[in-house]
Amino acid sequence: MTQERTYLGVPLHKPKVAFFELSSCEGCQLQIVNNEATLLDFLSLVEIVNFREAMTERSNDYEIAFVEGSVTRADEITRLTEIRRNAAVLVALGSCACFGGVNQLKNRFHDIAWVKKEVYGKHPVETEAEAKPLEAFVRVDLKIFGCPIKKEEVEKIVTNVALGRPVQHPKFPVCMECKANENICLFDLGEPCLGPVTRAGCDSWCPNSRMGCWGCRGPADDANVEQLRNIAKKHGISAEAMLDRLECFGGFASHVDEIRGKAKAKKTASAAKGGVNPPSSPLGKGRRR
Amino acid sequence: MDNRLPLVDIMEEGTHRRHDDIGSFEYTYKAEIMNIYPMTASEKLYQIQIIEPDRRNRFSFQPGQFVMLEIPGVGEAPFSISSSPIRHGFVELCIRNVGNLTGFLARMQRGAQIGIRGPFGTQFPVGEMEGSDVLLVAGGLGIVPLRSAILTVLENRSRYGSVDIVYGAKTPSELLFTYQYEMWRKFDINLSIIVETPDDEWKGPTGFLTRILEDRVAQAGANFAANTYAIVCGPPVMFKHVCGMLTKAGIPMQKMFVSLERRMHCGRGKCCRCNIGSTYTCLKGPVFDYWSIMNLKEAI
Amino acid sequence: MIFKVFGKKELPRLFDVIAVNRVVGPVQKGTDKNGSPLHTFGEVRDFAELSLDYKTTILSAKRFVLPFHETLCTFRVTENGWEKDVDFNVRGPTVFFGLHACDINAFNRLDKVLMESVYPTPYYASKRKNMFIIGTNCEPQPYCFCRSMGTDTALHGFDLFLTDIGDRYFAEVQSATAYNFLLQIKTADPKEKDHQRYMDVVAEKNKKFTAHVDNTDLTKILDMEFQSQAWKEWGDKCLSCGTCANVCPTCYCYGVEETVDMNATGARKIKSLHSCNLIDFAEVAGGHNFRPERHSRLKYRYYHKHRGFVEAFEESLCVGCGRCGEACLADITVPEVIASVRGEGH
Repeated sequence: MTQERTYLGVPLHKPKVAFFELSSCEGCQLQIVNNEATLLDFLSLVEIVNFREAMTERSNDYEIAFVEGSVTRADEITRLTEIRRNAAVLVALGSCACFGGVNQLKNRFHDIAWVKKEVYGKHPVETEAEAKPLEAFVRVDLKIFGCPIKKEEVEKIVTNVALGRPVQHPKFPVCMECKANENICLFDLGEPCLGPVTRAGCDSWCPNSRMGCWGCRGPADDANVEQLRNIAKKHGISAEAMLDRLECFGGFASHVDEIRGKAKAKKTASAAKGGVNPPSSPLGKGRRR
Repeated sequence: MDNRLPLVDIMEEGTHRRHDDIGSFEYTYKAEIMNIYPMTASEKLYQIQIIEPDRRNRFSFQPGQFVMLEIPGVGEAPFSISSSPIRHGFVELCIRNVGNLTGFLARMQRGAQIGIRGPFGTQFPVGEMEGSDVLLVAGGLGIVPLRSAILTVLENRSRYGSVDIVYGAKTPSELLFTYQYEMWRKFDINLSIIVETPDDEWKGPTGFLTRILEDRVAQAGANFAANTYAIVCGPPVMFKHVCGMLTKAGIPMQKMFVSLERRMHCGRGKCCRCNIGSTYTCLKGPVFDYWSIMNLKEAI
Repeated sequence: MIFKVFGKKELPRLFDVIAVNRVVGPVQKGTDKNGSPLHTFGEVRDFAELSLDYKTTILSAKRFVLPFHETLCTFRVTENGWEKDVDFNVRGPTVFFGLHACDINAFNRLDKVLMESVYPTPYYASKRKNMFIIGTNCEPQPYCFCRSMGTDTALHGFDLFLTDIGDRYFAEVQSATAYNFLLQIKTADPKEKDHQRYMDVVAEKNKKFTAHVDNTDLTKILDMEFQSQAWKEWGDKCLSCGTCANVCPTCYCYGVEETVDMNATGARKIKSLHSCNLIDFAEVAGGHNFRPERHSRLKYRYYHKHRGFVEAFEESLCVGCGRCGEACLADITVPEVIASVRGEGH
């Protein structure tokens, strides 16, 4: 029997954890396995009972379930509900689980039959009309943002869970980290970037490589999205290009809805005044609701 | 010629004026949690002692001051001292479990080692108040810093005129230091307690504490303001009402004191987090007279 | 003060004399979308790497004394308690080659609060005391309003200040160390015509300022206009991204985070520069936020720089370098904000 570990006299909790994936690339789980240098320390904090990517044993006896991926098939709802029933704490792991992620891009197309044909051609698969985040079906206790997640952040979160500390995400945007990393502002390079409105915590991963932020971590607290769109316009970046970014991971869904709603209202108004509608395309028809 | 610049070590460099200050900036006294007294569902009273005897003996504070409590790796935050400055050798901190640091602290046991820095900040003018009547007003957690002043007044009871304590809480179960009320009353103190929402057993008055204050002011009549010092501790919204009322009753602004709370990381006027407008709460406060408060934008 | 002049060809030689030490100076970081060079301060090993004709830098030199992230201490945690190890993180003496007057003055102002006040900050002081500063004159840019802030010339806070007076440099020598360095290159005592040339260069420079801030009674005006609609308008534009504070040479506000190592036997306390514009700046445990609105946070940035610091130290914390306005995507600039609060042109 091992002696219970403590920190300053407070017992460390070693939870049984399980990893699951719904519709996803499993890249987030790979991030966790990737950290060879710290893997042993990580494993000393948790007891992993289920991790398809790393082990063959399986158990349904777990406290914390890390669920990667979005819900795109009916059977995933059943699975997710069962995981929720087993787990005391359900963690949405990565942008797909938190917001729908890249998968939810299909939500902006009306015609699911067309989508299936475009994507899968002669080999159709069963899929719902929309990809949704876990929260659309079950209660989520904790979200770990990012596409993919940042392993250092997961390590910090797991350490805090073991210590019984609350998990706090940065409330400010990526710009803070980007400046600290001494990057040239992407707007100065003429490129769009969602850094000013996206939640920090990634250590400005993309801008460090001179790639504009795509908002995978969702909005920062009090994100001024409207102002960023004005700024982009002034820098000669099209509204559609910004909208593409805002839509990419689903974190800004409510903002996008609002913008599309406004655009639609404007269009209707201008049409009433005799304005010309742009030719219809499968894109930009508004999110299905 | 050797053109290499010499390395200046500020701890050794003789030119620096304040060795002790510079050395103590990150100096945290190792301290031990001697006792933990649960007070309500969310508050506990922690009795904390600096471990090193020499440091402990040199540690002294005034009512109204605060210390930074550190749990290594967990965090550091300011807490008002609730105990009497006369009781040398330990401090008592009454702490509500609301977040990261306080949540962890609530799970710590007697004998655990933490750290404290301080004391910091300004004090209640208990010396200046001698010879005057004293009105002490606390709303909710405001009793925490105020208790240090209450105990100081009690310990020197003969030096003060009439002493009124008015304490209001949301519910009876949130009242703090209940075990001491009897003792306080024995010192010829007019202690009034009021709750907003009573439970079945509550027999005292209900409502906001301004109700009791209004009665008290009316009862005292014209004599009230002439010779009274007031200390008001509580949530910001209370300051406006209570201090406004007491000003109307005639207590001069410079004889009325409040204690403010802000976020702090340094306690030394460096991190700026406690700034009110441009005033550091940690240096110029937490105790301010009402006149200063009136001159601080956004203070209350 | 002692003055010297030396020919331009002597400057690389001076660099070589000094370069046995760690040297930090303006270097080109890249180019913007219009092809204009973007500069930053970086470590330099060769004189050719220096871009002494730089206009400004994206970030100030502040981070060499106030790093964005700094480990204040580490803890060794045992079953029974903890031990604390403090390191002021000094990287040794550093020569700053080519600071403009605004940035030198920025350090002088930071000194007032971080080094000369009642409680000096050892992390700052220990790095600051290991700086050797060579200033260079500059060309006012459209965003520079240092002249309004009294920071267009540096009176102290440097070892050597070089002004380009055409074919030679006019050198102000303020430390014995600097004098000793100069002894190793070919210099001369300035003649009357050098003095004249120096004064002409300064007069030329003064004509070129286009941005101004009216500081008259500003501390009072800020109080009077506390409820001004102008704040609300700027607040609506603000992204609350903290960029202004990060590029600022004098913003020193910070936050502290403590973390426990994964092996649970160690911990660290890390200081990170914060910004008063960030949403959680004045948030306390339990969730209450003293400044939940963007405009109130933006306002307090101005309050601290242009009112509080003036009250405490008789001068503004802002040195008019214009970096914040240049870096602000929302085009919020100090001259414009102050003008609008003063009720001018808004």
